[in-house]
Amino acid sequence: MVDTVKRFGATTALDGLTMEVAQGEIHGFLGPNGAGKSTAIRVLLGLLRPDSGSARLLGGDPWSDAPRLHSRLAYVPGDVALWPGLTGGEVIDLLGRLRGGLDERRRGELLDRFDLDPTKKGSTYSKGNRQKVALVAALASDVELLLLDEPTSGLDPLMEAEFRAVIATERDRGRTALLSSHILSEVEHVCDRVSIIRDGRVVESGTLAQLRHLTRTQVSAELAAPVPDQLRALPGLHDVVIEENRIQCQVDDPALSDLLARLSAVGVVSLTSHPPTLEELFLRHYGPGDATSDPSPR
Amino acid sequence: MTGRLTGLGALVRLGLRRNRWSYLAWVLGLGVVAPATATAYETIIDPANADVLIATMTANPTMRAMLGPPFDLSTPGGFTVWRVGTFIVTMAGLMALLGVIRSTRAEEEEGRIELVRSGVVGRDAPLLAGSLVALAACGALGLLLTVSMTAVGTPMVGSLAFGLGTALVGSVFVGVGAVTAQLSATARGARALALWVLAAAYVLRALADGAAEDSAIRTWAWLSPVQWMAFVQPYAGERWAVLLLPAVLTVALLALAVALEGRRDHGSGLRATRAGRERGGPGLGSPLGLAWRLHRGSLLGWTVGMVLFGLAMGSLSTSFGDMLSEAPVLEDIFRRMGGGTEQLTDAFFVAILGIVAVLMGVLAVLVFQRLATEERRGHAELVLATSATRRGLLGSHALLAAVVPVVLLTLVGALLAAAYARSTGDWSQLGRVAGAALALAPGGLLVLGLAVLLHGWVPRFAWLVWVVVGWSLFMIWVGATLGLPEWLTRLTPWAPLPQLPVDAMSWPPVLGLLAAAAVLGAVGSVGYTRRDIT
Repeated sequence: MVDTVKRFGATTALDGLTMEVAQGEIHGFLGPNGAGKSTAIRVLLGLLRPDSGSARLLGGDPWSDAPRLHSRLAYVPGDVALWPGLTGGEVIDLLGRLRGGLDERRRGELLDRFDLDPTKKGSTYSKGNRQKVALVAALASDVELLLLDEPTSGLDPLMEAEFRAVIATERDRGRTALLSSHILSEVEHVCDRVSIIRDGRVVESGTLAQLRHLTRTQVSAELAAPVPDQLRALPGLHDVVIEENRIQCQVDDPALSDLLARLSAVGVVSLTSHPPTLEELFLRHYGPGDATSDPSPR
Repeated sequence: MTGRLTGLGALVRLGLRRNRWSYLAWVLGLGVVAPATATAYETIIDPANADVLIATMTANPTMRAMLGPPFDLSTPGGFTVWRVGTFIVTMAGLMALLGVIRSTRAEEEEGRIELVRSGVVGRDAPLLAGSLVALAACGALGLLLTVSMTAVGTPMVGSLAFGLGTALVGSVFVGVGAVTAQLSATARGARALALWVLAAAYVLRALADGAAEDSAIRTWAWLSPVQWMAFVQPYAGERWAVLLLPAVLTVALLALAVALEGRRDHGSGLRATRAGRERGGPGLGSPLGLAWRLHRGSLLGWTVGMVLFGLAMGSLSTSFGDMLSEAPVLEDIFRRMGGGTEQLTDAFFVAILGIVAVLMGVLAVLVFQRLATEERRGHAELVLATSATRRGLLGSHALLAAVVPVVLLTLVGALLAAAYARSTGDWSQLGRVAGAALALAPGGLLVLGLAVLLHGWVPRFAWLVWVVVGWSLFMIWVGATLGLPEWLTRLTPWAPLPQLPVDAMSWPPVLGLLAAAAVLGAVGSVGYTRRDIT
């Protein structure tokens, strides 16, 4: 998608969104509610026509080639609305057939894995089970691309783990997936690359390693003697908290070795450091105010 | 206090607040029918030959089956109770069961009762609050009937019997709704169960009333709560003791509902939810297959209803001439509705077909507008994310909306003529009247075309089609009786069509409307491929 804009009346849902999902990758699409994730996916599905900008999907135009392209992809909406009078099994078969057929063996296998009863009526499923119906229908279809809009939002932790395992096998089979979420651990575990979206535009995009380059390392240490106060002034250190022998701070990567040298000079009793989790990345982009005022230690 | 009713007052207030408009509409809508009928008594029944007319009407088994047992039709009050009483009672039952299920099982299904129960609320309070609000609506309807009937000059004692009878029979169905809400885990299922009970009660009394005078079947009517108001005999020597029947049954049903609720878990029903099919049937693999699946239940209901209506009206047609010759005013109205013919039976067919044709237009729009519901609920999104095309999705609903009403309209035409054909031995009537019905079909198709056009380009304005349909229905139903100028009454999509068998067949309007409907539909379908689906 290049420079895509979509407005609904006075609100601008997509404000020049540009992003790319390469073939064969699992791409995470991160952002808070209302950032425009679902709108972007619906543009890709040809349900919405962008006001300006362009989008390409599997080498075609998502608007005009929609039915042809849709036989090569499967979509799971964020809030799956099932027909109250149809059973889960019927919906799975219906959606599979509308897509051009589904893999019988995989259908059975996925029903087992997700522990889903296909004989219940749509109105009696919980949110998580409705999600599973759509997931089984999507994953049992032989398609190249999966568009998953917050696919695990109703699943319990066990099922979420199952979902991650399934996605990992899908990647190994060469499928491409765009997976939107505001659940960071989900993206962290399964995605090759991540785009972060805020207010309708992508603010950050890259592999997890690339995004971590932009960030700081969280360090906390206990020293043999009181921490020298001049450490506060060291360039590259942020949010420094000093209590007697203890120090906590965030460090820019270039300043890391200098800090460690100074700490060892005093004598280190214990030291922990960890790379930022996606939670911290996320807070940096969406936290109230700017990043330096938001240490969020873990 | 035991605490089982804690919070009842607050919940009743909440229920009144949430449902006041819907109950108000029901009560007012039903409440005006009776006094309106009573005031029209003098125009319907000519006092000069009232006896003959009344004797003819009451002797007709079809009229009895549809309307109920006649007791005393010589006064406006007694006539009103016979003419519209059973209808009002049945509708009151419908209001009651829908209302009580809406504020109990539907709320529970939506998860709102869970929220309420987490507060300081007694175990029986939510169920009883919903029931009390529905009972209050029944009471309000009874009060309105008593007051309004007294106001238009019928005796107060009879009005009171009429009001009380209606309120108490309505209350029975508060009980029915409260019980079915415990049995089924879904509001849909509870509604279906309760509606079956109401329909069974109505059909039971129709069978009993339609039976011969000396038949034992006549007594079955006592088993039908819908009949109890009539058996109180308002304006015809009131039998107050009959009121005990609905009163006792209401209390018993509510007690049963409370007992049942105590035996089940929150969110579950006593009737296990039936498992459905594990696999989709062979038909369920295309937008049309899906549309058929979504519509078939309600279409089956419409078919049964229209078949019964066609048969009932048909059997009425044979005795129609005798009946009307006693009531010149009615005869004149029917002649005008029926295209001004001298042949009364034909006039009757034309009048009935005119109404049925518009009703089928209503059905066409209802079926088609399911597509809008599919979009709003997010179902269309699932379908359109597959290889299904927008044209295919729109077309599947439009196809059912076009075909089924036309078939039903033709069928009603044939059934209307069935009794007449049997009595005269002239079976060619069947084809003749069915053809007359078919000639009216383009009107409904034009309305459908308009609905497709609006949905394709400006779905916000989809309601405009209801203005057209509502206007047409109003004109065809009462336009002829109000004496409105002809150009105004002819301002409907059906007016240009030839009214067979009274008029001669004329192809230009038929083909013209068909072409216009096709163009509107085609333009609408282009619009649908170009707009956002949200």
